[in-house]
Amino acid sequence: MSTSSLRASVVGVGNTRYGVMPDMDAYDLGLWALKDALADAGLDFSDIDGLILNRIPDYQRFAELCGINPQYTLTTPGHGRFSGICIQTAAAVLQAGLAKTVALVYGNNGKSAGARYGGDSDNYGSGGAGLWFPYGMTSPGAFHALMWQRHMAQYGTRPEQMAEVSMAFRHHASLNPQAVKRTPFGLDEYLDARFVCEPLRLLDYCLINDGGVAMIMTLSDRARDLRQKPVQLAAFAQRSRFVDSAFPPEDFWHEPMKQASEQTFAQAGISHADVDALMVYDNFAPTVMFSLEGFGYCPVGESGSFVQDGRLKLGGQFPTNTSGGHLSESYMQGWALNVEAVRQLRGQCGERQVPGAEFVHYMAAAPVVSSIVYTTHER
Amino acid sequence: MSDKPAPPSSVGKPLPDVADPFNARFWQGLGQNRLLLQTCSDCQSPRFPASRYCPHCHSEACEWLDADGAGVVVSFCTFHKAYWPGFAAEVPYSVVQVRLNNGVQFFSNLVGVATAQMVIGMKVQPVFERVSGTEHTVLKFKPVEGLVP
Repeated sequence: MSTSSLRASVVGVGNTRYGVMPDMDAYDLGLWALKDALADAGLDFSDIDGLILNRIPDYQRFAELCGINPQYTLTTPGHGRFSGICIQTAAAVLQAGLAKTVALVYGNNGKSAGARYGGDSDNYGSGGAGLWFPYGMTSPGAFHALMWQRHMAQYGTRPEQMAEVSMAFRHHASLNPQAVKRTPFGLDEYLDARFVCEPLRLLDYCLINDGGVAMIMTLSDRARDLRQKPVQLAAFAQRSRFVDSAFPPEDFWHEPMKQASEQTFAQAGISHADVDALMVYDNFAPTVMFSLEGFGYCPVGESGSFVQDGRLKLGGQFPTNTSGGHLSESYMQGWALNVEAVRQLRGQCGERQVPGAEFVHYMAAAPVVSSIVYTTHER
Repeated sequence: MSDKPAPPSSVGKPLPDVADPFNARFWQGLGQNRLLLQTCSDCQSPRFPASRYCPHCHSEACEWLDADGAGVVVSFCTFHKAYWPGFAAEVPYSVVQVRLNNGVQFFSNLVGVATAQMVIGMKVQPVFERVSGTEHTVLKFKPVEGLVP
């Protein structure tokens, strides 16, 4: 069987704890997570022949610290959209035969390093943020606030509806011992939360923390011989919207999401109704709304009513971000959501387990859209 | 429209990067109450920020032409947090996303309109606002006369 006909599989996942760890840098956090992932897979550092890094500053230093000489190496910028890109690239690297065991490693010491997403260090978008500082415009939060304001005006979406997203994720976090914020809140508390950039409230923002996440991927033939129940990538797709991307997209990234979604579902051979859980990139709560519309879980403009009645909560139709996501577990830039997808499919999620989960869909809405369907169904 | 408020203080706020060679003509133009936009000589597309090559046709040929400046408010948001000390006294303040009729977009502020009066789709025109105590001018917007709610 040629490598290209085998599916890429996740055979190991690992993570640090999440929080404030001022004595750890991004290399330390990445290495901690990688050790955890290797132990999970039953593999050793010497098994790694492909290395894909995200947010860790220097690949040479990291590999030196690991004591490995991989035959494939890639490093990527610390933008959340790159978690999906890295995982898809790892699959392509495996299927091209460039490596047999790829380690994907993410290390983020942003909390302790004082990373700020607004103000002078703002480099969101295509690098031109400084042009707007004299007007007081800064931060990805403001960018998404502009989008949400327009969504509310255009479709009549309401704050009480967005509260359903934040409340559902916090409820899930209350069942996740790793989550940073675990105390549930109700609608009144949501509405009383202070505005950071109106119409976004504090509870619509992700949680900046230190932490690391790692994944080990192989092709499915090798995965069968390893310790864990293999989780395969049934489908993956990527699209982009870079043209005029210094400004919020008029269609809330709908078109690239629609295209990525159609490709993903066709490749996986399933429909939306077959998906057991969603992992939705939630840098800000409205991104979840845009994603549900863009990836076709509900019609355009109807995410507000769609998320009501507990549809995204465990026990609902589409349990979403069962770890608590970026809003309540920790902002690990998509990585921890992908790990959660794998753990759900392995049945390792304890109190927050989606019973019998067979398909989990990770999706990210941003100038790079990514879509991955994970499954336990072997091919 | 309400009485014209005193221009906001520039202390503790970032200033335009007029040393940026690509956008220098834009900022100079504002100082002369002109909205100058880099415009492709081949496909006639205006663009901001400036760039060596036209993103539409990749031509290097360009000229700086006066733009009409009429546009609409695409959206707005209101900052309750000050990311620079100079904005602390002004929170909550609002930022607008404006699309000119020629397609070029800006983030800016609306002059003389309270946040409660801001409406998506509001027609606006440019205001050239001198930053107090400096030589700099920034591009702000105000509602087209007669359209204030």
